[in-house]
Amino acid sequence: MTESCPLVTRRRFVQGLGATVAVVAAGRYGISVWGRDPAAAAPAPPPGSWPVPEERTLVVIEMGGGNDALNMVVPHQSAAYHDLRGGLAVADPIDLDGEVGLHPAMPGLAARYAAGGVAIVEGIGYPEPDLSHFASLSTWWSGQPGAVGATGWLGRWLDGAVGAGDPLAAIAIGPGPAPALAGDTSFAVTVQDAGGLSPGVPPWVDEPAELVAAWAGLAAAPMDSPGLLGRVRDAVAVTAAAHDRLAGAVGPAGDAPAPSRGSLASSLDVAARLVLSPDVSPAVLYVHGFGDFDTHQGQPNRHAALLGELDEALAAFLDTVAAGDAADRVLVMTASEFGRRAASNGGGTDHGTAAAHLVVGPAVAGGRHGQPVDLQHLDGRGNPAHTVDFRSVYATVLETWLSADPTAVLGATVEALPLLQSR
Amino acid sequence: MGYSTRERTSHVLRRLGMGAAAELAASLPGPEAAIAAALDLSEPPTTPPDMAAPPDRESARNDGDVETAFRYWLGRMAASPRLVEERLVWFWHDHFATSLRKVRVPYLMWQQHLTVRSLATGSFAELLHAIAVDPAMLLYLDGASNRRSAINENFGREVMELFTLGRGHYTEDDVVAAARAFSGWVVAVPGRLQAPNRVDPWTAVFLPFRHDGGSKTLLGVTGRLDAAAAIDVLLGHPATAEHVAAKLYGCLVGLPADEATRKRLGAAFRRDYSVMALVEAIVADPAFTSDAAVRARVRTPLERAIGIAQGFATSDRAGQALLRGLRTAGYVPWLPPNVAGFPAGERLLDPHRLIHGFDLATLADPRRLGRLGASGLFARLGVFDVDAATIDRVDRAGGPADRLALAVNAPEYLVA
Repeated sequence: MTESCPLVTRRRFVQGLGATVAVVAAGRYGISVWGRDPAAAAPAPPPGSWPVPEERTLVVIEMGGGNDALNMVVPHQSAAYHDLRGGLAVADPIDLDGEVGLHPAMPGLAARYAAGGVAIVEGIGYPEPDLSHFASLSTWWSGQPGAVGATGWLGRWLDGAVGAGDPLAAIAIGPGPAPALAGDTSFAVTVQDAGGLSPGVPPWVDEPAELVAAWAGLAAAPMDSPGLLGRVRDAVAVTAAAHDRLAGAVGPAGDAPAPSRGSLASSLDVAARLVLSPDVSPAVLYVHGFGDFDTHQGQPNRHAALLGELDEALAAFLDTVAAGDAADRVLVMTASEFGRRAASNGGGTDHGTAAAHLVVGPAVAGGRHGQPVDLQHLDGRGNPAHTVDFRSVYATVLETWLSADPTAVLGATVEALPLLQSR
Repeated sequence: MGYSTRERTSHVLRRLGMGAAAELAASLPGPEAAIAAALDLSEPPTTPPDMAAPPDRESARNDGDVETAFRYWLGRMAASPRLVEERLVWFWHDHFATSLRKVRVPYLMWQQHLTVRSLATGSFAELLHAIAVDPAMLLYLDGASNRRSAINENFGREVMELFTLGRGHYTEDDVVAAARAFSGWVVAVPGRLQAPNRVDPWTAVFLPFRHDGGSKTLLGVTGRLDAAAAIDVLLGHPATAEHVAAKLYGCLVGLPADEATRKRLGAAFRRDYSVMALVEAIVADPAFTSDAAVRARVRTPLERAIGIAQGFATSDRAGQALLRGLRTAGYVPWLPPNVAGFPAGERLLDPHRLIHGFDLATLADPRRLGRLGASGLFARLGVFDVDAATIDRVDRAGGPADRLALAVNAPEYLVA
């Protein structure tokens, strides 16, 4: 088990990383990761608790900043909607069923909805909603409202699937590690672009091909360095090992121009390469760093551009995997820390609560799920009550798509939704 | 275990400044002298370059201006004799994170930078008042669209959550009250604003007809609060001083402040909000030079780049390579990922950032390498007490250039 890839080292690495989401939430707001909470009540599920699904990938797309779902899945027949939104109401949604429509920037998803490939889940939220970006993100990441000190929900899934056994079973695509993938014993690699983990080696280096191996050698030097330095050595070792395995999995392919770095198109381009790669078979891809959905101001143009980017990038991704004969292998879901305030603030919307989300792929039971929020009964802050616990979406994909035990992952029994076709 | 005097001297320079330049470190007998040198502000500051105010919004996006500004700032980080000033300028930029991506006007980012630079070692109260009506901040957190008839909560929320009190000390009602108090400020964009006459372009302007002048209650204080009054309420709350003091302690010491330290520093800070008095109190804490504090932080990509620039860069090579490397690492000044500032700590150990440390090495000039072996390379980076196995493995690498590329990615250099 320890010959090529230093598993013992890696285990020490992830177990030693002391910064928990809670600790960091106190200081830097929840953007920590890989950390474990020594005081966490529930022990990490041991590896092998459930299988790593073969030929199935869950792709999560995080819409950072709080997506205005009310202007994405538009209740165009609702008088309350038009009253609350005024000039910010979407005038020409693409009607889906006479009741709601998608934002006009989303023709691809509208067509896919008509073909039965999109599940819209309305009213998703959690009790006693927190309107802070960082606190609400922590809740979404952890999957445990009120217990923000914990690991990420997909990190716990990863613990129970492979533990420290495979840092490429789940991969974050974005500007840093994804806290939702923070496991107790497991570790998920981060990549940012189609370069994968290929460094831009200085042109003056004599032996570029030897560099990463030599670097891994530095990590292997004293095996038991304590404290931070030891964890840094471990991180270097994991990175060097993942570099080797990813070398063929991503990287420039064909003549197609590469999407601009940092865009959703670029991240989903990487995701498609990873899904189609014969070298790796990630079961979870967590795409984050997409957008500034925090549209307090200038919303109409900004939001339309973001939703258009989502629509196009997602279409390109699904087309690419379909062309690679892998359409059935992917399930896409959206996430975002909260929806936005029911009423317009003039040029945009302030932080809100419940929101609709999308689950996309050939496996979904297309149509509307959950329950629309009641815009006629808002709370003291002007937000509608949620109708669907966000964890029920997690439970659904954990149980149905990832073949895992949602109760063990979520630390609670949450009802799943009929979002996927029974198979 | 105990670190050597040289490593402890470097530690002080790394924390109180943005890096430990080898020449300076070598001239100092020990950590006490390093503290004195780092806190010494007797050398006069250099005059920052001028940037012309753009005539209108359309011509305001000038990338040349951005490069000039970056070059100046990063140059100061690497070479200013006023070490603690550079540490604090960066700390406050990270604290009052504002992004060019949304502001879109380099000139306004530069004005904010000059404001931060002029107040960085002065009074936090003065700095906070200035930031609350800073034009770049008014655009970044939408203060400029916050008006009586359309209250925008963005700044009102983040100023309490991130800049002052911290979570748990305010309610959603306080968010609304603060937002109302801050309403009415706009930026005088040339050609756009129907402002009173004789307003300087690109400055912040208060328009009474847009301000919500009604009574509001913020943190228990009731009155017709305006922006300045609201900031005073925040400054008067003990949580503000404790939050900011503990954050600076965490940055300088590299370890979290315990509850007693937090209270003690906060109480002293709140008396006059003197930043340098706070720095001195933190530095006087035995924890600052303790073994536990040495190498307790992950070196940020920016600090890594500054260290390489100090040790091995020549000016003709550094600019572009440095920016490219920082961009790959998501660590470009003026482009924080969000309002909470730049990532720090162990989340910087992600594989993408780690492996692209080799990109940062590009800013070194191999002509400056000479025949340095591993120990010499590490010494130029201000890193001592390196494991013998590490020295040996670096020495066995290809040529001097390969040794350099490895040294700046060695675990001993990745911590600070």
